[in-house]
Amino acid sequence: MTERELEMYFGPQHMGMVGNFGITLTVKGDRILKAKANPGYLHRGFEKLMELRTWTQNSPLVCRVNVMEPHSMEMVYSMAVEKLAGIKVPMRAKYIRTLTLELSRLASHLFGCWAYANMLGFDTVAQWAMYHRDLILDLFEDFTGGRVYPIYIWPGGVRRDLPDGFKEKALNVLHEIRSKISDYDATFFNNKLFYDRAKGIGKISQEEAKNLGGTGQILRGNGVESDIRKIEPYAAYDKIDFEIPTREGGDAYSRVWIIRDEMIQSVHIAMKCLEQMPEGSVYNKVPNPFKWKIPKGETYVRVESSRGELGLYMVSNGGDKPYRVHFRTPSYPHGLTILEKILVGENIADVGNIMISLYVTPPEIDR
Amino acid sequence: MNKSLKKKLESDFDSSVEILEKNGWTITANKNQVLDILRFLKGEGFDYLALISCVDWIEKGEFELIYILSSYLADKEKMHLILKTRIPRKKPDFETTIHIFENAEPYERELHELFGVNFNGHPRLEPLFLDRNYKTPPFRKDFDTRKYVEETFGSIKSVEGKK
Amino acid sequence: MDRNQITKWIKNPKKMGSKYSLWAIYFCTGCGIIEIPPILTSRWDAERFGIKPAPSPRQANLFLITGYVTLKTLKAVVRTYEQMPDPKYTVGFGSCPINGGMYWDSYNTIKKLDKYIPIDGWIAGCMPRPESIFIAVTHLWTMIDKGIADGYEKYKEKYFYYRKNQEKALGELDWPPLHPMKKKEEGQ
Repeated sequence: MTERELEMYFGPQHMGMVGNFGITLTVKGDRILKAKANPGYLHRGFEKLMELRTWTQNSPLVCRVNVMEPHSMEMVYSMAVEKLAGIKVPMRAKYIRTLTLELSRLASHLFGCWAYANMLGFDTVAQWAMYHRDLILDLFEDFTGGRVYPIYIWPGGVRRDLPDGFKEKALNVLHEIRSKISDYDATFFNNKLFYDRAKGIGKISQEEAKNLGGTGQILRGNGVESDIRKIEPYAAYDKIDFEIPTREGGDAYSRVWIIRDEMIQSVHIAMKCLEQMPEGSVYNKVPNPFKWKIPKGETYVRVESSRGELGLYMVSNGGDKPYRVHFRTPSYPHGLTILEKILVGENIADVGNIMISLYVTPPEIDR
Repeated sequence: MNKSLKKKLESDFDSSVEILEKNGWTITANKNQVLDILRFLKGEGFDYLALISCVDWIEKGEFELIYILSSYLADKEKMHLILKTRIPRKKPDFETTIHIFENAEPYERELHELFGVNFNGHPRLEPLFLDRNYKTPPFRKDFDTRKYVEETFGSIKSVEGKK
Repeated sequence: MDRNQITKWIKNPKKMGSKYSLWAIYFCTGCGIIEIPPILTSRWDAERFGIKPAPSPRQANLFLITGYVTLKTLKAVVRTYEQMPDPKYTVGFGSCPINGGMYWDSYNTIKKLDKYIPIDGWIAGCMPRPESIFIAVTHLWTMIDKGIADGYEKYKEKYFYYRKNQEKALGELDWPPLHPMKKKEEGQ
């Protein structure tokens, strides 16, 4: 009996795919010989659309690049505009921005826990993770105005101050999540089944990760302590003490364990922000939005999103609209070059497992 | 250390270095020297290619290719370098940088599809995002997207009223 | 259960059965997918409405198109829709399928989904709340009761026009027509 090579489509409509992304696999039996990523299902031509709208009109548009974590996109756009236009941000706004970004990172990691636990079949942990994420979305609705698309961080600061009674509500939610991490450990992270199914799967060495442009959990899962919040601090990260968790191994097991460690650090940073927040104004006024022209120049800013290094290259021509905008998203090298390399030699049943442990988000790839 | 790097870049290669801010430099180079400068910078420790981008300066008739480099090493990771070069818009040909930085492959594919820049030596220049051919590559400044939407999607009639 | 329901079940068990157990196909089309996992989990709980995710289009009868549809996605959406068995219902979620939404001037997204597949109802918002899906489902039940949720019948009757629109947007289609392509003459 001879086996032959077949080409199959692990396409967008599949229970193992989170997001609208396709992979074309060449398989022999159950083993994968070659993988080809098939992006483009979510391409909107974002950067072209941003050239047709003014600097202020781009604020509602820019949070929609990555739907799982919209706050980092707004942060990186505001940082680029502030650098080009020379606008300063008051201190209270910096602390509120740090709080928003850490809550957003926590919500994104809980969504990742839902997706990964569902993929392995741990439904109970998936339901808990979604519930805790919903508590954070309730907080977002309180102070930003929207559950998913907030339009809160804008050039000059943030849009409005925190409402009364917010600090107690936020501390309650953060204490609740922190106290339940031991339940997550007992059910999922310390479970022998998780160890059996994730150890040694999707392995990538440190040198290969650096050659292929990996950042975020892919590097930290190989023992490299690299985080842009410590390299080039922005917002109020230089005033708060926190650790960067790392693990050895480079496989799916260590990457998902780092997600759990980062959740604990995010809760710690958010609580410190609420305690240390100074008084003051929350935004510096920008010029009249109908006539705001920014002087000529270019800049590259970067931020640590929950998936890796998120950067923005922006060029201004002295007009009232951006001349060229290019997002450097972390899922671009992870989902295209690294995914194609890692999948060779693995089983078909592990494709969803590997894709979610690499923390790839398709809208970031296509923009 | 940084001063000597700046001097070396300006004297050995035909380039001019401008310091935009404390840790961000802009290096403007001649298009024939770009590959040599990239090899030199990789040897100096800048081994992380963050982005390859392109800007369409339609009034001057040029495309500007941008290479943004940074480093994984502890003493250089704060810096980022923006390397710029210009190629003519009528015939946008350039060399691929895959043998220097392995992760340049999808960036060059995207620029080929959206701007029409041809990278000689690239193993796989097939479409990445788009499913159909456009007369002008869509990210160029002379592609009017609102007019295209009117013509293509506005001309399709809805089915409701038909018997 | 009160006495009205018993007579309804005896008269038309097929309609009542399909109404109270709509299985939604698991296809994440656009950015509205972020509000679907909260629906399927314990806080908002769609299973008390009878909705659960179905893995294959052959087992599903509700298609929630969550968000904007690009040209590549439209191919996948039409193929998935044509594989679902009758009776099937589609709901457009978000303001992008209605008239293009935020991306009204993008060269790669379609502006009005109604021209390519039949839609039974729309949910407006960017991003709508999870409760709006439940309100939409109760509206859909009323429509099924009255017999006006007949998108799949319209697709069969006017298939010629739907297929022509799909070919105009996507170019040559590489799957054969699902229903016979007959163009009704004027006055018939």
